[in-house]
Amino acid sequence: MDTMFVSLAVILAGGVAALFLSRHFTLMKVVTIATTTAGCGVGLIYSLSHLLSYAATMEKSWSWLHIFTLAFKVDSISLFFLVVIFAIPPLALLYSFQYMGDKTKATRTAVNYFFFAVLVASMALVVTAANIVTFALAWEIMSLSSFFLVIFDYQVKANRQAGYIYFIFAQGGAMFLFAAFALLYQHTGSLDFSTFSTIPENVKLLVFILAFLCFGSKAGVFPLHLAKIQSGPAAPSHIAAIMSAVMSKMGIYAIFRMYLLLDAATPLIGQLVLVAGIATGVLGVVYALANQELKKLLAYSSVENIGIILIGLGIGMVGISEHSPTMAFFGLAGAFLHVFNHSIFKSLLFMGAGAVSRQAKTTNIDQLGGLMKRMPTTGRTFLAGSVAISGLPPFSGFIGEFLIYYGAFHGISNQRIPFILAILAIISLAVIGGLAGACFTKVVGLAFLGEPRTDNAAQATEAGSSMTKVMIVLAIASLVIGIVPEPFIRLAFAGLHDVPYTAGYDTRAFMEIVRQVSQTIGIFIGLLLLLTLFRKLLYRKKEIGSGPTWGCGFTQPTVRMQYTGTSYAAEMIDFYRPFVPTKKTYTGISRIFPGKTTWQTEVEDVAEIRYQLHMIQPLLKFLHKLRWIQHGRIQLYIAYIVLAIIVLLLFL
Amino acid sequence: MESIFSFCFAILITPLLPAVIKKVKACFAGQQGPPLLINYYTMAKLFKKGSVYSTSTTFVFRMGPVVGCATSLMMLLFFPMAGVAPLFSFHGDVLLLFYLMGLGRFFTILAALDTASPFEGMGAAREAFFSILAEATIFCILVLFFRLTGSLSFADFFSSSHPIGLAGEHGALLILVIVALYMIMLTENARVPVDDPATHLELTMIHEVMILDHSGPDLALIELGAWFKLLFYSAFLAMLLNPFQLQNTWLSGLLFYAVVTFIYITIGTVESITARYKMNLVPKFILTPFVLVFFAAILTMELN
Repeated sequence: MDTMFVSLAVILAGGVAALFLSRHFTLMKVVTIATTTAGCGVGLIYSLSHLLSYAATMEKSWSWLHIFTLAFKVDSISLFFLVVIFAIPPLALLYSFQYMGDKTKATRTAVNYFFFAVLVASMALVVTAANIVTFALAWEIMSLSSFFLVIFDYQVKANRQAGYIYFIFAQGGAMFLFAAFALLYQHTGSLDFSTFSTIPENVKLLVFILAFLCFGSKAGVFPLHLAKIQSGPAAPSHIAAIMSAVMSKMGIYAIFRMYLLLDAATPLIGQLVLVAGIATGVLGVVYALANQELKKLLAYSSVENIGIILIGLGIGMVGISEHSPTMAFFGLAGAFLHVFNHSIFKSLLFMGAGAVSRQAKTTNIDQLGGLMKRMPTTGRTFLAGSVAISGLPPFSGFIGEFLIYYGAFHGISNQRIPFILAILAIISLAVIGGLAGACFTKVVGLAFLGEPRTDNAAQATEAGSSMTKVMIVLAIASLVIGIVPEPFIRLAFAGLHDVPYTAGYDTRAFMEIVRQVSQTIGIFIGLLLLLTLFRKLLYRKKEIGSGPTWGCGFTQPTVRMQYTGTSYAAEMIDFYRPFVPTKKTYTGISRIFPGKTTWQTEVEDVAEIRYQLHMIQPLLKFLHKLRWIQHGRIQLYIAYIVLAIIVLLLFL
Repeated sequence: MESIFSFCFAILITPLLPAVIKKVKACFAGQQGPPLLINYYTMAKLFKKGSVYSTSTTFVFRMGPVVGCATSLMMLLFFPMAGVAPLFSFHGDVLLLFYLMGLGRFFTILAALDTASPFEGMGAAREAFFSILAEATIFCILVLFFRLTGSLSFADFFSSSHPIGLAGEHGALLILVIVALYMIMLTENARVPVDDPATHLELTMIHEVMILDHSGPDLALIELGAWFKLLFYSAFLAMLLNPFQLQNTWLSGLLFYAVVTFIYITIGTVESITARYKMNLVPKFILTPFVLVFFAAILTMELN
């Protein structure tokens, strides 16, 4: 465990070094990236070796401020999440070497690197925290450091706004967390995590729901996902990658940890998580399909993947309460594996989006096109990431979903509620898969293929080599996990080692199936190569012409005539109309010789509208009445503070 | 040995069967129709040709037909044609295979979008939309079959201790499944009333419009892929319909292909007597089988 703290110290040292070296831009980047990467490397080796050797749980604690203890505990679940936490940031940092290339923003970049290091360290602390104080502290540091990372481009008003919304959601969520912890402390009188299971059953559900509201908003559970949607497009791409790919998994970790600690007998918790997962998954992908802003689309797609992970967790939890070991084991294992896989391909996609926004000056799909020819490496890796995130073999996304399917199918039993839930989970996974495929054919087909729709897109060139190399690594990783899934499935199984309900599950029969899956994918790739060869032979010594696309008789095609992201998704979005309101603005034609007229459609987030209508407006109305408290006279403000202290001293 | 023979026979006979549909449609129209071997001639002709590629296209356009054909072929590798054990099979193969079909569709759509043609974009959008709706039904069928057999592979569906079949234990439920699967077959294979393969206006097409720019061997691969897919779906239906469990492999094979041919004839009949639906009715058509199968799946809840 000391190794881990050493690695955290090295990571933080890298961050602090950035602050001191901010005047030497390139040196600063080299030193910071090298140091932080080294720290992450040490941490990765530590967590992987302990995870795969099924090391026993380790604990460590220090006293802090004389009244609190900072307690840490590492078990297999923590180790599994530590692997993700230490594996992705170095790649994001390498990518940032060229992505953060603006010398005029040197100080800001240094601060960004500093908070990056703080974020990585705090995430590692979140998954190892073993009491309330430690967890809350790490959680808050994580929220705050990511807030500073989001507002890197604070001069843009939209980014500031996104930052505020992110901040409000983070702190609002923390409020629910503190409420949950307060309830726990009231019943146990102890700060230690291990006492949670002793509280009365009826309180457990309430505590879980409160905590779920906090952790869910961090993970991006519908309808608590708004912070994530806002922060994704505002943050620099490598930050968005880390936040979407790694930080949102802290929400998943915390939900699962809370579930294990509470050890509640009620099946409601599992059902709640499963239903939340289904809603999040389906709506997330529908909104992803409806949005044409690439980064926003990717943020919604993260919401969708969080839904898939929650479906896995939910299947696992329902399996636990139904005493169905197969369902429990594979639901949880699928969720874990998807956490790992998603962190890889989502980073890849965000980095691809970053490269596009840098080279083509826009990320709006309706203004892109033809990038595959202009940015070949970015295009090919993005294609790989898209196949992976759509859950299609032979890439990694399929494997995690396969495990969840396997668990869900084996959960189909005689019991009514699990039966219905398992069926719903299976069907929604299928629908999510299909919609994700539609969504990412839209992105690849319209942004990367076809003809460029604007001059900016036409003039785009390939991104710098440090960016493309990282994307290649991630794309290859996705492919390798898809083709040879066995070691990675073992990794997920190892992560479940310390989960009491699934311990000792015999996986040998399933490993045989995994080998068959791997073999089948091998056959498929063989068949693909064979057909490619056959096609090559057929085209040998033949005349291959080239000309314009056939316009079905129309001879004056323009690039503006191509299908756009909006038109591609229109029918599918219309199908989900009640959940996806579309705002249409049409100025209309009035005179005989009509002037210029405009037509605009905009997809609105139903959660945002509801918040606006039912929470924010009433709240603002109420707060307006309290405006007199805030009058700007400093002496009265001090009086408020004194008064507050007196009241606290007297009554508490 | 039997499995290899069965697979090769299926591959060889694939182009013959769609000609049956053409023949039936010609009969209804009072025409003589093309010869039954027409598709073999078409294949030979297309294989001999070269191609013209649009300047808009990239390598994805050339990959589309290959991936599409390979994924359809995978289905035949794993499907027990006429009850003969397939070449490969394992518990869970249906999940992988239907996802592979998804991969084929993914690349077909991308190849269509790669041409920058507005017509192909439209076809791609419709294909994506309708296939999502069909996917839900297919997985619902898998749930039902898992409930009945406790298995997730094509081979086990039809050869376990409780094989699925109209004459089997829960035959009544299968009536719903057969109707649903028939409608899904029409959807997934771009047949009337969802799509009209013989239409002449690009705006009304789905599948045909997506492959406008393909020619020569590429087009041949796409056609082959589509035929393999149609054969897979009708074989699936035939296995459900087939009431006899014959011991003699030859005889049961003959019977099986007779049922398959019968299904092709019905497709031809449907195409002759109905028109294609308006586009906004198609989603309703595709959701009907979902309701049927979901109902059947709910009915199995009380089974032991």
